[in-house]
Amino acid sequence: MAQFTLPKNSKVTEGKTWAYPSGAHDVREYKIYRWNPDDGKNPRMDTYYVDCGDCGPMVLDALIWIKNNIDPTLTFRRSCREGVCGSCSMNIDGTNWLACTRFIADTAEPATIYPLNHLPVVKDLVPDLTHLYAQYALIEPWLKTDKAAPERERLQSPDQAEALNGEDGKGPAACILCFCCTSGCPSHWWNGNRFLGPAVLLQAWRWLADSRDDATGERLDNLEDPFRLYRCHTILNCTRTCPKGLNPGKAIASIKKMIAERRS
Amino acid sequence: MTQKHRLSSFDRTQGLGSAREGVRHWWMQRVTALALIPLTLWFAASLIAYIRDDYSVLILWLRNPFTSVAMVLLLTALFYHMALGLQVVVEDYVHNDRIKIPAVAVIHLASFALAAAGIVTTLRIAFGE
Amino acid sequence: MAGNDRPLSPDLQIYRPQLTSVLSITHRLTGIALSVGSLLLVGWLIAAAAGPSAYATLHGFLASWLGLLLLLGWTFSLFFHLCNGIRHLFWDAGYGFDLRTIYASGWAVVVISIGLTLVAWIISFGMRGPHP
Repeated sequence: MAQFTLPKNSKVTEGKTWAYPSGAHDVREYKIYRWNPDDGKNPRMDTYYVDCGDCGPMVLDALIWIKNNIDPTLTFRRSCREGVCGSCSMNIDGTNWLACTRFIADTAEPATIYPLNHLPVVKDLVPDLTHLYAQYALIEPWLKTDKAAPERERLQSPDQAEALNGEDGKGPAACILCFCCTSGCPSHWWNGNRFLGPAVLLQAWRWLADSRDDATGERLDNLEDPFRLYRCHTILNCTRTCPKGLNPGKAIASIKKMIAERRS
Repeated sequence: MTQKHRLSSFDRTQGLGSAREGVRHWWMQRVTALALIPLTLWFAASLIAYIRDDYSVLILWLRNPFTSVAMVLLLTALFYHMALGLQVVVEDYVHNDRIKIPAVAVIHLASFALAAAGIVTTLRIAFGE
Repeated sequence: MAGNDRPLSPDLQIYRPQLTSVLSITHRLTGIALSVGSLLLVGWLIAAAAGPSAYATLHGFLASWLGLLLLLGWTFSLFFHLCNGIRHLFWDAGYGFDLRTIYASGWAVVVISIGLTLVAWIISFGMRGPHP
């Protein structure tokens, strides 16, 4: 049976409440998922109070403020702090987004922060993405062609380039592999061991749509599978949650169309 | 979940390779859905019109050749669409193969049996005395 | 080995219900309800074929409060699954994927299916007055 409830070792308990910043005026409450691999306990929700007058405007700024001022053990991934690297993806107030592009002003009070959904937790807000990267490798995300390399670039017309970049810069090639979409997909929760999920399928489409790639048929053979592709039921949580405004749902529909068209 | 970690991620993803099929199920689900749009609208409208009438009026309606044909088409499309849909639900939530595979078979067999029952009954009414 | 006791991060327990996921699971639930209802459809045909008294028995049950409740549920299930099914067919053809359209079409499905259910029941009761 699909596991609708969390396993025993994953059930979240109440955690501790950390110090209130004295003298601060603009204080907001944060409930944050914590798990320490070294203490043998279940995950817990800790409560922090952040002095928003003393930190930047984004949720990532609040997390960094907590780490610098209140609790240096709070662990999370981060890098570019401008929404292009995909490191700080997490579940904020129930939906997945990048912490560095979510304004504190747009969060609930108290704000609740969890790691990306239905993934093994390494520590606190850091999920284990190994399986997702393995699924990405499965679609062979590189150019496959037997044509000899030209002297300069393999040229594309503006339309051909637009298929990858999107007319508004939000095409499949713009994906930063933050996995907000995949971890928010109920089909991936119940069948993630075999269903590739929206992020990987968006990239599969990126290579199917690339005019320079010659392995389209082979790629489609690899995808046409009741679980790898067809666990997608167009729930569309993916498109709803993408912090870069991309459309994995539409890309997956395009893959299904391509597969249907090649047999008619 | 802890057991799954003993397999490498590669094993868990590759499995037995792509089945290289799946589009037929997807396509037939859509084709039967298209057929069901006019058929269910006709059926719903007919029910609203006839459900509270006398038995004799109802039987007259059921004996009408157009009704018989439409009913047979409805039953065919409906039970095929239902079998395909329920199969997907079972595949989504049941992961124990020893339950899942027989369950999918039963779904298809039962749907066929129900369709047959409905169609035969419709024809009996149509050609009856 | 450290990797073996990692907890699984929460999913259904904490993910915010949104129009996308709620309409999708409703589509599935109405489909399952209609599957159960298909048994009634076959039963109804068999009762009709069996003769007036068999039919009257079934009809009597359908006119009871439980029967009417079930019929109401099946009516809504039918119209919702039909309208949302059409929405799905547009997606399958490649249309309607931008977020604004997803939400607009979703709300349209909710409103139209509730509307059709009400219309069906009002007409049904209105045509012949209250059931004897």
